[in-house]
Amino acid sequence: MVDDEAEFLETLIKRLKKRGLEVSGVKNGQEALKVLHERSFDVVILDVKMPGMDGIEVLRHIKEEFPNVEVIMLTGHANVEVAIQGMELGAFDYLMKPMDIDELVFKVEDAHKKKILKEKKHSKKA
Amino acid sequence: MLLNALKKLKGLFGPKAIQQASHDPKEIEELRLAFQIKYHHFKLLLNANNKALEFMTQIEEYLRGHKFFGMTFVRSTVTQIATNVFQMINNLNQIAPHKYVQLYDKFKEIQSALNDLLTSHSLPSEGPVVMPLKEVTKEHVDIVGSKMAHLGALSNIEGINVPNGFVITSYAYRRFFESNELHEEIPRRLQRANISDLNSLFELSSELQQLIIRSNVPPDIAEEVQREVRTLLNENMKQPVRFAVRSSAIGEDTGEASFAGQYRSELNVAPEDILDAYKSVVASKYSLTAMVYRYHHGIKDEEVDMCVGVIQMLDAKASGVMYTSDPLNGNKDLLLINATFGLPKAIVDGSVNPDVFKVSKSRPPKVIKRLFNQKTIMYTCLEDEGVCRTELLGEQGLIPSLSDEEVVELAELGLKIEECFGTPQDIEWLRDKKGRLWILQSRPLKLVRQKSQRDLKVLEGKKVLLMEGVEASPGMASGPVFIVKQDADSLRFKEGSVLVIQQALPRWAPLLSRAKAVIAELGSVTGHLANVAREFGVPAIFGMTGATNLLKDGMEVTVYADLCAVVEGLEEGIGEGQESPNFMKGSSVYQTLEEASRLIVPLTLLDPDSPGFHPKNVKTLHDITRFCHEKAVQELFAFGQSHKFPERSSKQLLCQSPMQFWVINLDDGFSVESPGPYIHIEDIQSIPMKALWEGMVKVPWKGPPPLSTKGFMSILLEATQNPNLETGMNSSFAVKNYFMISRNYCSLQSRFGFHFSIVETLISERQQENYISFQFKGGAANLTRRVLRAQMVSLVLQGLGFRTQIREDALFARMEGFEMDYMLERLRAVGYLIIHTRQLDMVMNSPSDVRIYQDKLKRELRENFGIGMNNGTGGH
Repeated sequence: MVDDEAEFLETLIKRLKKRGLEVSGVKNGQEALKVLHERSFDVVILDVKMPGMDGIEVLRHIKEEFPNVEVIMLTGHANVEVAIQGMELGAFDYLMKPMDIDELVFKVEDAHKKKILKEKKHSKKA
Repeated sequence: MLLNALKKLKGLFGPKAIQQASHDPKEIEELRLAFQIKYHHFKLLLNANNKALEFMTQIEEYLRGHKFFGMTFVRSTVTQIATNVFQMINNLNQIAPHKYVQLYDKFKEIQSALNDLLTSHSLPSEGPVVMPLKEVTKEHVDIVGSKMAHLGALSNIEGINVPNGFVITSYAYRRFFESNELHEEIPRRLQRANISDLNSLFELSSELQQLIIRSNVPPDIAEEVQREVRTLLNENMKQPVRFAVRSSAIGEDTGEASFAGQYRSELNVAPEDILDAYKSVVASKYSLTAMVYRYHHGIKDEEVDMCVGVIQMLDAKASGVMYTSDPLNGNKDLLLINATFGLPKAIVDGSVNPDVFKVSKSRPPKVIKRLFNQKTIMYTCLEDEGVCRTELLGEQGLIPSLSDEEVVELAELGLKIEECFGTPQDIEWLRDKKGRLWILQSRPLKLVRQKSQRDLKVLEGKKVLLMEGVEASPGMASGPVFIVKQDADSLRFKEGSVLVIQQALPRWAPLLSRAKAVIAELGSVTGHLANVAREFGVPAIFGMTGATNLLKDGMEVTVYADLCAVVEGLEEGIGEGQESPNFMKGSSVYQTLEEASRLIVPLTLLDPDSPGFHPKNVKTLHDITRFCHEKAVQELFAFGQSHKFPERSSKQLLCQSPMQFWVINLDDGFSVESPGPYIHIEDIQSIPMKALWEGMVKVPWKGPPPLSTKGFMSILLEATQNPNLETGMNSSFAVKNYFMISRNYCSLQSRFGFHFSIVETLISERQQENYISFQFKGGAANLTRRVLRAQMVSLVLQGLGFRTQIREDALFARMEGFEMDYMLERLRAVGYLIIHTRQLDMVMNSPSDVRIYQDKLKRELRENFGIGMNNGTGGH
């Protein structure tokens, strides 16, 4: 999870963990890219509006360097243009804060399944 | 349409395909995976489809105009529909790689049109940040706000005194917001709040106001403000000057929406504190009252630029409010003047019962009625800064605040102002200690249309609890008493109660949209709260002494505003007196949603079998969803065949049924591996298919209903005229009934005789994603009868909680978001209806038959499935 709002980040991580997901949180895009290099992740939940590198920029980097990682965008300010830009860059989905926790968990599961299927397909071809 | 679709697929499946199938295990494994991937994309497409449709339904619901919403709702709904539609296009192009990329272009077209609608069109970026009042005219309303534009206009009229001052304009406001990034931060926080929950709104309001007050005014704006202040100081060499810093928001005071008292004014401000007062007034854009008010009037947050007037402060002998017509009965021959000692704050705040004068509009005006009240307090300017509240004791408060001559002088001024603006005015005036008359504000007066006064006789035989005060807003209403003394009470305020308060303070305005009536111990017709009560059509009596003591919480009372009476008990069957006005329709927020909906909601791609069912004919986002869904189903359907992949080819269902069914397993719909041409019903593990099947077979079909000769003739006639039927009749086995299933998904396309239906459903533990959609069409009888049958089935489905829609003889029904057991129960009912509504068109001779068969179907559903239902009035 990448979000600059510490309180939001903490609460959400706690709730996602309760639902059996393994979650880590970072506060900005630079840190996100750093941990992606260090460890492997299936899904990134990414806030669109952050100081420094904004969510769209981070998404671009993630998709370049880790094309198999699925990214779910979160936003506090609905904007059609940004949403579609994110989807075009390969985001799995774009959710509006505050979102339903179940819905987020389902999205993570669906994104994860997509990733697994994609990886299977590549290993078959290889 | 269904018939042709099924015919196209005819013969694609079955033993022939299986014979040519590959047996290479590696190849099979690859096919399996490829199919799994396609199915996952299909499921994602279904979820996105479901979401998009849900949001579209929501838009339609909001456009009916009975709900309140702001731009946050419009933006987030449109954005979510757009993202989901985009996902559908993505997923379709994954299922059938790059086959439907044309849709992206169509999507982009619609998206950019939507973007234009949702982007606020702003002022030219450069303009004056301050403007002397003397230079302001009515035409400057977009720069200085309507309050200051009016005042500026008045200051240019001979014989009208308006205090000196200047306006900090909307350019200044925007620069102030942008330089502090408030224009981004505030909408972000607004989106995350639940605007209908007063508690969280309360917190948000104070958060946003803090944010504004802590921000810095750009130095060049501060410098310009100081320069204007110096100019005013120089003009008043002899004495210290203080200022009133008043809101003048864009869109405020425009007749429809008065915004009475929703924003802050700071009185008697010292020159060095003007910038702080400015920020405080700007911050009041996000006061709880103002936010709730805008929300209920459909006013866009970003349309409200807060301009601020800085006006020289005058100390008053007396002051008040003058209406140039009577707002309650629309009497245009009378002026109504309220007056009290000191500053007008006591009247607009509703903290005093003022003297009331009624003046005829003759030339010269004549005082025809005087009412002198006990004025308990007055506000005066403190020497240094701020205002103070002084108690008026005994005799002091009973002295008339104006003489008849002064009233007449004021009335003449009122007539002049009314003439100048051409409509009845609500004027704030002040008489200074030297006896000079000043105008502080003038705005259009909103008149309330009212029926004739009720006769006192209506009170006969009733227990009158209180009878006193003035009618501040007309009408009558019943409800339980709810006394509000402090903010904490207001958060607990129960919708539908009669609000009882001590003072008619503007801060209680947010409660008015939820109150049945208002009773205040103090306050007047010309106060802000009275204004808002009239706007919301809530009956109100002000000046009812002892109300908060005599009335108790929960006591059931009826309020007769025109008689100024409160009686015991609820009156049954009485109207609210005033039509509850609807501000949403016609508001700018509503218009934006309406325009956006035209690009989203209409469905123009109707028939998947027509050549026009093509991306190039897509006009709306709904069209895209329809197209994607249809094509996705077809692509999956065709996969097993085109890849000679028996596992995913259709299998005939082995069951105890005279009808024949074929099943395609999309993922995990079978409990056994099944390479052969048949599948046994026992080996199906699709949860929704099992429920649907149970519903289809539970009650044996007793054959066609008994026919009248008329009904039979209708069929014969139709059979000779309807080409669809003809082709169908060539071979009764030509068209098959198909299930496509996975563990949690099931679609059934079926044709029984001349009756076509499609069921599609996803039911799992993910409650939010559950849905059932059902389409039903056709029949053998003539169109009138088929339409009657569609109506009948629609009523039964509504009783089951479906939303339904009828287009000629076609019926569309949908339900979503309920938990598994409930959805499965509904699915059984659908299964039953598919089988048992066949051929009922033939017996639909008249609307009364609709009732008879509807009752029969309901009875059987109850007896066989234990499903009760409501009366079927819901749906749309």
